[in-house]
Amino acid sequence: MKQKPRVAVFDFADCEGCELQIANLEEEILDLISFVDIVSFREVMKEHSDSYDIAIVEGSIMRPMDEERLRGIRSHAKILIALGACATMGGVNKIRNQWMPEEVKKDVYGDANLKGNELFDVFQTKAINEVVPVDYYIFGCPIDRDEFKSVITAIALGKKPDIPRYPVCVECKKNENICQFELGAFCLGPITRAGCKAICPTHNSPCEGCRGLIKKQDTECVKEVLERYKLSYEDIRRRCTMYNYGRKECSYDE
Amino acid sequence: MKQIVKTITKKDFSSFVNSLINDRTYDVVGVVAKGKRYVFDTLSSAEELQLDYDVTILPPKKYYLPQTETLLKFSLEKPFEGKEIMNDTPRIIIGVHPYDIIALEQTDRHYLDQQQDNFYKKRRESTIIIGVDIKNVSERSFVASMKTNVTDSGFDLLLTDIGTNYAVTIGSEKGNKLLEKYAIVEDASSSDLKKIITVRNAVAKKYRQKVNIDKKNWSSLLVANYNHAIWEEHSDVCMECGSCTMVCPTCFCYDVKDNVSLNLKEGNRVRTWDGCLLKDFTKVGSGEVFREEVKERYRHRFFRKGNYLPERYGFVACVGCGRCGSACLPDIADPCNLINELGHFNSEEDTGKYFIKEETEVLEKGIIHVPRSATIKKIIPFNEIDTLFEIELDDKKPLGHKPGQFVEVSIFGYGEAPFGISTPPGDSPVFEIMVRQVGNVTKKLCLLQPGDKVGIRGPLGNGFDVKTFEGKTMLFTSGGTGMVPMRSLINHILDPKQRDKFKEVIILYGAKRPKEITFMDDVDRWKKVSNVQCELTVDRCEPSECWGGCTGLITALFPKIKADKIDSKNTIAVVIGPPVMYKYVIKCLQTLGVPDNNIYVSLERRMKCGVGKCGHCQMNGVYVCKEGPVFNYGKLKQLPEAFE
Repeated sequence: MKQKPRVAVFDFADCEGCELQIANLEEEILDLISFVDIVSFREVMKEHSDSYDIAIVEGSIMRPMDEERLRGIRSHAKILIALGACATMGGVNKIRNQWMPEEVKKDVYGDANLKGNELFDVFQTKAINEVVPVDYYIFGCPIDRDEFKSVITAIALGKKPDIPRYPVCVECKKNENICQFELGAFCLGPITRAGCKAICPTHNSPCEGCRGLIKKQDTECVKEVLERYKLSYEDIRRRCTMYNYGRKECSYDE
Repeated sequence: MKQIVKTITKKDFSSFVNSLINDRTYDVVGVVAKGKRYVFDTLSSAEELQLDYDVTILPPKKYYLPQTETLLKFSLEKPFEGKEIMNDTPRIIIGVHPYDIIALEQTDRHYLDQQQDNFYKKRRESTIIIGVDIKNVSERSFVASMKTNVTDSGFDLLLTDIGTNYAVTIGSEKGNKLLEKYAIVEDASSSDLKKIITVRNAVAKKYRQKVNIDKKNWSSLLVANYNHAIWEEHSDVCMECGSCTMVCPTCFCYDVKDNVSLNLKEGNRVRTWDGCLLKDFTKVGSGEVFREEVKERYRHRFFRKGNYLPERYGFVACVGCGRCGSACLPDIADPCNLINELGHFNSEEDTGKYFIKEETEVLEKGIIHVPRSATIKKIIPFNEIDTLFEIELDDKKPLGHKPGQFVEVSIFGYGEAPFGISTPPGDSPVFEIMVRQVGNVTKKLCLLQPGDKVGIRGPLGNGFDVKTFEGKTMLFTSGGTGMVPMRSLINHILDPKQRDKFKEVIILYGAKRPKEITFMDDVDRWKKVSNVQCELTVDRCEPSECWGGCTGLITALFPKIKADKIDSKNTIAVVIGPPVMYKYVIKCLQTLGVPDNNIYVSLERRMKCGVGKCGHCQMNGVYVCKEGPVFNYGKLKQLPEAFE
């Protein structure tokens, strides 16, 4: 029998929630391990191996030591998959890129002496693909389990994963939600990549853009809608800071 | 036809609904509240019904064309086994407004016309519609001015709130039987009948939104303004979110996908809602997108409603429900506003026609979604991207195609892709296709081995009507993969049994590079046939490549045509190649004096369903998969999207 591809799961600066989504596959993990061997997955197992074909990486990159570790992972892996908002686009960790790393450290740790301690040697947050090439992206905060399954099966079959390039509105309309704008809220759904099944608006919470913007914040249509709903550019800029700070538009087209 | 009208007290109507629910024969759905809006949903009791609603967020189309519908179940482990899956729990839909009933009748025309969609048909047959006359008017609705506020067909029963009672108009025997079995009704009196009219007339006066142009004039109004700046002005603020198409009762395009379970053992082929406003709607395997600009997609949606479908079926495919208007954030989607705005321009320019009528062949029943099992017999690589596949249908029947037709090749788990057939018609169950590796299906195909199974749907589309070419000089011009269907046609015509029926044959063939010249054996053979002139060119050639022929674009071959051979009026020219090629080649043909009506082309678009249903290959009002891919240029040239 052909040897099964070996998969390792790694994390950087993150909440490990996306990994938890994999763990939450529960008995379906048995299906997964019928065609791959999971050789490293800190959140769910104690074994570890440096011999793997596919690396699934969660989290964003904050420090030189992270970069070094990530490069190491890349050099081992034939395929690298960025998992979740932190890995695919920097996510919430990029909020702090509004300030210089020194300012942030001072604000958080005050006068503590951190000199020479590489754990605190932070630079501006980077997404995975700002350090190493990424083969596949699984978006979201957290990721959607069904999408994870579809990307993994696509990779296993040698297909291009089917990641939507249309906005959340498509899925939101299918769910027959009352539009968040109609309810007086401000939602990033119209300019955010779908694939989450519009989970937030479906649970009556406006979209925060965790799967990345597929339109620039300053395109005419966005301006038009802001004006109609009496919102300012500042409103959308602030809203986009949560997941999309510093991102002009979605750069991950595939 | 005079319809029978009964009355039922509101209390008895509730009991009627509750007995339908309790009977459990039917999935009983109706209009229920969702926040301040309304939706169709499964009823657990009659009390939930909100028959005085204004409009639902989604139309009841979700029950006829489910958002995700499994067409086939397949196993990746079995060589080839696909099973059509049909879930046909009978359903009763209570509270459908007349405009939504009319929209359903329109959808029927599309899905039950000619090539019937058996999924749709089955579901439609097992559904009972209990309509209700509109009582409260939604803010954006303009149904009164569309004359879709009332209907006398399309329902099994229709309720009208006439005070303490509902008047129940019986629209079908199914409806009648349902009443007999479950309801206590009385015959309507003449005053009841009058009340129905009074109620309808009173509601009709409440509409604030009104379209000023009669719907039968929409088509000409749109045509007069095809090139108007309005499309760009409005689409500048379009979010491309597709909401307008999702909520529309007359938008019925779909996409087809293969989903594979996590154990990689089995999967489903599903169809899901798709919308022409979304950019990837027209994207083909090679990555090309047709109607790439928002403005074009925005215009397409209105033309589909106001011109393309009216030309095809005779109805305006907008019923005035106003859902798109309220769903569109920048508020540019509402046909009422758009048509009224166009009406102010007084433009009378005749910009042409955007629909052409073509006779199409009806395929065998049942062929719509289920592919036939076939076996790969031979795989012959031409170069690193092009491979010739010899395929045999497992039922050993000949494919029965005409030159120019295509097949959908299916690999379960990967999907389907359209391929031109490169072999001439004949009695053999074996046929050939050429595969260029561009997408999921083509890449997977190239990993298969002789003996492996694939699925075949087809032959599909309109091919060449070779009989009409008899007695003519034939001039074939093909570029790149255009040689695939062209080879089928050329070999058919050069068949010794046929050859005498045609005059001179001139073959012009261009490829990008020498290595991309395919079917070289055929080319060599053609060159040896008398009265055949065969000229080849490549766009460019590296010094390392062996190429003794002409270098330059395909148009460079035209001066080589021996002038004495061309009796231009009696010449049939066939052109097949990449989209960019047509314009230039057709110019050359016109210079030669070949009349436009003697020119035939074959076009490439995103042929997904292959039977004119899913909408992806649509080019202005024409479905390329059904009315094409072969077209007469004289007819086709009027379509601006054909050679954009």
